[in-house]
Amino acid sequence: MDHLAQFIVAGLTTGSIYALIALGFCVIHNATGIVNFAQGDFISLGGLVIFTLLMGLKVPLIIAFPISVIAVTIVGALLERVAIRPARSRSIVILVFITIGASIFMRGVFKILWGKNQMGLPPFSGETPINFAGATLMPQNLWIFGITLISVIGLHFFFSRTRLGKAMRATACNPRAASLMGVNVNSMVLLSFALSGALGAIAGIIIVPITTLSFDIGVMLGLKGFAAAVLGGYGNSLGAVLGGLLLGVLESVGAGVISSTYKDVIAFGILLLVLFIKPSGLLGRGDTERL
Amino acid sequence: MRIGLSGVKSLLGLAILAVFIVLFPLALSNPYYLNVANIIGINTIIVVGLTLLIGYAGQVSLGHAAFYGIGAYTSAILTVTYGFNPWLALVLAALVTSSIAFIIGTPTLKLHGHYLVMATLGFNLIANIIIVQCDSVTGGPSGFPGVPPLAIGSWVFDSDIKMYCLIWSMAFIGIVLGLNLSMSRVGRGLRALHSGESAANCMGVPASKYKVKMFVLSAVFASVAGSLYAHYLSFVSPKTFDIFFSVELVTMVIVGGMGSIWGGLFGSAFLTSLPHLLSSLDEYKDIFYGFILVVILIFTPEGFIPGILQKLDFYLKEKGQRNKKRLDDFLDEPGFNGVAGIPLADSCSSKRLEASNDIILGINNISKSFGGIAAASSLTFDVQKGSITSLIGPNGAGKTTTINLIYGVYKPNLGTIIFRNNRINGLYPYQIAAMGMARTFQNLQIFDNITVLENVMVGAHAISHNEFFVSMLHPPSYWKEEKLIREKALEALSFFGLEKEADLPACQLSFGEQKRLEMARAIVSEPELILLDEPVAGLNRAESITIAGLIMKIRSRGTTVLLVEHDINVVMSISDKVVVLNYGTMIAEGTPIQIQKNELVLSAYLGGSL
Repeated sequence: MDHLAQFIVAGLTTGSIYALIALGFCVIHNATGIVNFAQGDFISLGGLVIFTLLMGLKVPLIIAFPISVIAVTIVGALLERVAIRPARSRSIVILVFITIGASIFMRGVFKILWGKNQMGLPPFSGETPINFAGATLMPQNLWIFGITLISVIGLHFFFSRTRLGKAMRATACNPRAASLMGVNVNSMVLLSFALSGALGAIAGIIIVPITTLSFDIGVMLGLKGFAAAVLGGYGNSLGAVLGGLLLGVLESVGAGVISSTYKDVIAFGILLLVLFIKPSGLLGRGDTERL
Repeated sequence: MRIGLSGVKSLLGLAILAVFIVLFPLALSNPYYLNVANIIGINTIIVVGLTLLIGYAGQVSLGHAAFYGIGAYTSAILTVTYGFNPWLALVLAALVTSSIAFIIGTPTLKLHGHYLVMATLGFNLIANIIIVQCDSVTGGPSGFPGVPPLAIGSWVFDSDIKMYCLIWSMAFIGIVLGLNLSMSRVGRGLRALHSGESAANCMGVPASKYKVKMFVLSAVFASVAGSLYAHYLSFVSPKTFDIFFSVELVTMVIVGGMGSIWGGLFGSAFLTSLPHLLSSLDEYKDIFYGFILVVILIFTPEGFIPGILQKLDFYLKEKGQRNKKRLDDFLDEPGFNGVAGIPLADSCSSKRLEASNDIILGINNISKSFGGIAAASSLTFDVQKGSITSLIGPNGAGKTTTINLIYGVYKPNLGTIIFRNNRINGLYPYQIAAMGMARTFQNLQIFDNITVLENVMVGAHAISHNEFFVSMLHPPSYWKEEKLIREKALEALSFFGLEKEADLPACQLSFGEQKRLEMARAIVSEPELILLDEPVAGLNRAESITIAGLIMKIRSRGTTVLLVEHDINVVMSISDKVVVLNYGTMIAEGTPIQIQKNELVLSAYLGGSL
């Protein structure tokens, strides 16, 4: 039990990342209803670009960070323009599988550009541990918590206070009605892909220093983010954060207390149980068919 | 025995496929491609099951690689570790897989959309980790070697060409079974629940059972494919059964065009061979694979094969432009002039006497609240056998709620509902449908993914019996029932003047036609009681009169009618009894004349007293 605090800190750290990724899923879902399986590749790309900037071009972090985010944001927007918008079908399943195809494509490109090797990045600000409430915190943990918190607050502010954010929410509710009210639905969808690209990039950038980087690092992270979003109630931002943190903690405590080989079994097993009891996730509202 | 056009097309397709299967190895120069063809055959078996699950039942599963793996590992372990006969092992593996699929499927298929996708994906991840971790049984991450080949007597399937014969015979049988099921009563039921689960339930399709059964059946297809795979390659590795293969399998279904077995065959052939075709591109392989996938999905979203077929169809029948029947023609038809011309009250008065004193439906003291709002409180009224009873009231009075309570869509908090002397509250809609009740819906619930005729045939689900097994094998008894249902459905369509539209997709009908289609779908089962929820809402006066006449005709066929309607003219002219609701309580009950004079009713409708 001594290590419990440590497991929780570790869990909250990865959980924060999952939360960011889950938010990326939610943003796109809310504008289009689709699951963007290329979300994981936004994470990979964020990590890969900042790796090249920091290690290859020796750009300082303060500049490399925004450049990486902007780069992936553009890629997100591009994905929408070249693959989603021209699609002849508006069927959700088709669009979802277009993102899967796009994900395979992007991974192929990353593999050629960055190779198959494992890469690593040093933490943003040293490795002096900090003791806090019985647990040891690394400075990178604090960066992760802080940046996640800022992103979540920023996103909340955007959706609840700005005109653009409200227009996006209206699009999510009813695209046709929103378009009749003068909202440019196409731009909203484009914006949602760009925004989720940015969120993916941030997640990728802050996680790289605590893990090893490879061209497909985002695949598993993307799945975990999807799981977190579903756990919280798909499309619900607060649910995404809650689901992410919960999944992170469950995984970490499960790995520490029971067995690290079964950590995914524990995390996904609990996810399944939650869904069986509450089929629309923790904070999700079920769709009811009206007769 | 009428096979129908789709049947002829299927037979032709099967004949071409059979010829192709036989000729393919003869035309082959490089034996390497035989190996690819075998893998395509194995994948095809899985994809046929998945096409039925995804394309027909509308349930997307990203967990079928796990069932494939469970089949492969069970076969491998039973034959190598325990020395079972490979064929017996194949059957036992299918049994094990179907049990697991049933246990997983029952809670999982209650989920919808992304939740279902996530749950099946989670299951696949868990299954994969367990296979890797139980290395004493499964050989762990390095795999399970030494699986013996299949054999019939001394004839051992130990070469690519022998396995080709076996695998493609099995794939062919799989395709036949899949096609049979897709065209059957079960296939219609699955597509109906895909389009509208609650509506299908009300037609007598046990939606949740069907989903689970289809899930289990598709898992069995995957398991058999897995067993074949294990014996073919003599080696199984956990990597073959990870979530990425699940994704690939679903991609095959989608690229081929969901809802088409032939498309599934194409998808499996195309996506299985694509990496081999691209192999010369080395490291650029993935990029092209992804690119081709995206392009196909962008430009032929209905699937490659159906996309091409549709274009062919389009060129073949230029005259395919539909002769839309106008309402005027409809009213001029001989069958209807008795109704359209004559004032309603006259044509009805003689029929009023038919109502007997037997009670077919008794509503006793039922209450239902949503949150704090009482949608129905202490409702009590009876419906006499052979009558037309109308339920009226202002918007929000609880009329549709009452219909939904009677039909089992909602469960009442209190009270009992007696139908034909049986207590029915607590039963599911599909069970109530089987007891002789049918209904239409306030918001149209047309199954827009099937034809007009098929919609009506789904309406006969409750009175027919061909289940999964029979629907796959098509014995003579199957055809007998199918013929009977088709005849009944055509008769119901002509009753509502829709016989010429029978083979059109239901989504192409106009609003008025869709309303009549719903009524045709409800009468095809010759129910004892029919609940009509606002049948004339949104129709013009002439159309309303036609429908009112048809309601009278339905009653004269021996069906009792419970009508919910806002059109007071229609209600007053055809009803034997009118029940008035307001704020979930009954405020009046009586003959149309009594209701018209009732002060409570007047004040509820007009506000204040007169």
